[in-house]
Amino acid sequence: MKTLLSASLKMLIRDHQAIFWAFMFPMLFLGVFRLFSFDSYGTTNLIVAGETADVRSTALVDALGDVEFLDVTVRDDLPTVADVEAALADEDGLDAALFLTESAGPTLQAELIMAINDPIGSSVTVAAIRAVVDGVSAALTDAPRAIEVFTRSVDADEASFFEFLGPGIIGMGLMSFATISLAGSLSRYREEGVLRRIRATPLAPSRFFVAVVVAHLVIAAGQVLLLALVAEALGANVLRGGIGFLLICIVGTVIFLNLGVIIAGRVQGRGAVEGAANAITLPMMFLSGTFFPTSGMPAFIQPVVQALPLTHMLNALRGVTIRGETFVEQWPSLLILAAWVVGTLIVARFAFSFRDA
Amino acid sequence: MPPVIDVQRLVKRYGEITALGGVSFQVEPGEIFGILGPNGAGKTTLVEILEGLTRPTEGAATVLGIPVVEHPDAVKERIGVQLQASSYHQYLTLYEILELFGSFYQRRADPMELLRRVHLEDRAGARIKHLSGGMRQRFSIMAALVNEPEVVFFDEPTAGLDPDARRDLWEIVRAVRDSGATVVLTTHYMEEAEVLCDRVAFLNAGSLVALDTPPRLVRSLHAPYHVTLTTSGPIDARRIEQIDGVADVTQRAVADGTVTELRSGDTPRVAAALTALASETGVALLDLAIQPATLEDVFLSLTGRGLSGS
Ligand SMILES: Nc1ncnc2c1ncn2[C@@H]1O[C@H](COP(=O)(O)OP(=O)(O)OP(=O)(O)O)[C@@H](O)[C@H]1O
Ligand SMILES: [Mg+2]
Repeated sequence: MKTLLSASLKMLIRDHQAIFWAFMFPMLFLGVFRLFSFDSYGTTNLIVAGETADVRSTALVDALGDVEFLDVTVRDDLPTVADVEAALADEDGLDAALFLTESAGPTLQAELIMAINDPIGSSVTVAAIRAVVDGVSAALTDAPRAIEVFTRSVDADEASFFEFLGPGIIGMGLMSFATISLAGSLSRYREEGVLRRIRATPLAPSRFFVAVVVAHLVIAAGQVLLLALVAEALGANVLRGGIGFLLICIVGTVIFLNLGVIIAGRVQGRGAVEGAANAITLPMMFLSGTFFPTSGMPAFIQPVVQALPLTHMLNALRGVTIRGETFVEQWPSLLILAAWVVGTLIVARFAFSFRDA
Repeated sequence: MPPVIDVQRLVKRYGEITALGGVSFQVEPGEIFGILGPNGAGKTTLVEILEGLTRPTEGAATVLGIPVVEHPDAVKERIGVQLQASSYHQYLTLYEILELFGSFYQRRADPMELLRRVHLEDRAGARIKHLSGGMRQRFSIMAALVNEPEVVFFDEPTAGLDPDARRDLWEIVRAVRDSGATVVLTTHYMEEAEVLCDRVAFLNAGSLVALDTPPRLVRSLHAPYHVTLTTSGPIDARRIEQIDGVADVTQRAVADGTVTELRSGDTPRVAAALTALASETGVALLDLAIQPATLEDVFLSLTGRGLSGS
C-alpha cells in the first residue's frame, strides 16, 4: 500500500494540470484581487448625524463630500450617539460616523467614530477627515476652534474584502482541484487501459481507488496550508479559523472528490470528462459567493445558490473566520454539507465501476 | 503432469454476438502455446477469460489447477499478463511502474533485473511516451513478469512491429519459456506461430478448428507442398492435373516461358512425373521449386479463408 500511495502521489505531482488547478488557479485569483486592492482604494462610507442643521454642519458636510474617497450621508434619523453606534454595528457597509453636538460657547463638538479594522486605512481616513474639519473650521471663523474633533474607534462589524475573499478562494481551490483532477485522473486511467491492466493483477480495485483518493486528499491538505498562509500574509486573517477551518475544508473536499468520481463514471471520454468537470465547478464558483456575498444575487437564483455545497462550505468557513464563531455554531451549513457527503457518496458508488474498465 | 490450463466448453456471448462458441483444450507445462486466428476470432476474449478479466457465459476453465471464475485472485497472483490494448501510467518511469506492479504481488522480481532482460536498463528513468513502439512492446512483455509468473499470457505481443523487432521479441518469449514458465500467446501472424509455438490452436469465428504442432498441422494437409515449375513453353494443364496427388494448378506466361504453380502431396514422384511430362511435350525445364506449405495454407483449407480475413 505504501508503494501504491507514493506512486499515486508522484503521478499527481507530475500532472501539471492537477497542480495548476490545485495551486496556480487559486493563487491567480488571490494575486489579481490583491492587485485591485479593494480595501485601500475603496470608498469609505461616512455618516453624519446629530446637529446637522447648523451652518457649520452644512459647510462641513459639503467639504467632506468633496473628498473623493468619502461617501457622505446625512442621517437625521439617528438622534443620539447610541443610535449611531447601533447603526455602525448593524448596518452593512458603514465605515465611520461623525456625530455633531452644539456645546457651550461657539464650538461645535464633532465625535468621529471609526469602524475600520485595518489600522492603516483607519488612520489615513482619520487624518483626511481632520484636515477637512480644520479647513472648514478656519474658513468659518477666524478663530481656530470652531469645530472640535474627538476620535474613537469601535469594532468594525464588516470584514475587509480580503478577509471575505480568503476563505472563498481556498474553498474554490479545493473544489476545482478535487473535482477536475480526480475526474481527469480516473478517466485517464480508464482510457489508457491502466485500470484494466490493474484488474489483471491481484490488487483489489478498491485499494487502487483508495490510493488515488488519498493522494488527492494529501495534495488538498497541502493546498489548504499553502493557500491559507498566502491568504494570511495578504491580510485575509484565515488562521483564526483554526482546526474548525480544516475540518470544514475536509468535509467540502470529500464532496468534491465524490463529484469527480461521479463525472468520471458517467461521462465517456477524457475530453468530455474534463469539460463536464469544468462545466460543474465554474458556475458553482460564481454562484456560491466565492468573490462576493451571495445576498447580492437575484432572488430567482437563490434556491439554486442555497442548494450548492460550495455555498455552505464557504458560509461555514467565513463563520469560523470573519464572524468569529465556533465550528459547532456552523451546524446548519454542516448539516447540509453532511447530506451532500452522503448523497454524493451513494451516487458515486454506483456511477463508477471497475467492470467497465 | 496435469495440464497447466484446462479449458472446458467455454462460451462467451455479447448479446447477439457469440465471441466464443464452446472451446475446449489443454495447455501442457513448459510449452509455448499459440492461439492463431483472424480479427474477431475470439482470441482476446479467450485469454481474458483465462486471466480472470472476463466472465464466461458458460463453461469452465482452470489455470494451474485453480478454477478461474471462482478464484480469479488466486490465479492472478501466479500468472503474468500482457494485454492487447493497455498502456501504463504516463507520469511514472519504467522503474517506478515495475516497482508499483511488483508491490501488488507476494512474489516479485527485481525491476532492474527485469529491465536488463529486455535491454531497457538504460531507460529505467524514462517514461513510456518516450519509448519507441518496439521498446514499449518489450516493456509490456517484461512488465508481465514482475511476479515471476508460472504462466504468462501475451495478447498479440508483436502486433505492428517490423520484422527485426519481432524477431527480438521472439527471443525474449523463448527466454521466458526457458526460465520455466508456460507461455500462451495470440497472434495473427502465421510465421510467428510456426517458428515460435510448440503447439497452435486455430480459432475461427469463436470455434477451435484445429490444434496441433505446426509441422503436424502442415502435414495433415492433403497436399502439403507448393511446387513452382518454370518451362520454356506451356504444358497442357489438364495433363498435369491428371498426375496423382496434384491439386490447384494455375499457369501463367512470363517473359522467358511459362510458370505453373500447383500443390502436391508425394513430391518426389510428382517431380519425376512433371520432368517426364516436360520432355514429352518438348519444352525445356528451366526451374523446379518445391516449398512446404505453411500454416496459412492449413488455415485456408480448414476455413476457406486466409488469416488476414480475405
Ligand atoms: N466487450 C464486448 N462487447 C461486445 N462485443 C465484444 C466485446 N468484446 C469482444 N466482442 C466481440 O467478440 C468478438 C471476438 O472479439 P475478440 O476481441 O476476442 O477477437 P480477437 O480474436 O482478439 O480479434 P483481434 O485479432 O482483432 O484482436 C468480436 O466480434 C468482438 O466484436
Ligand atoms: Mg484480440
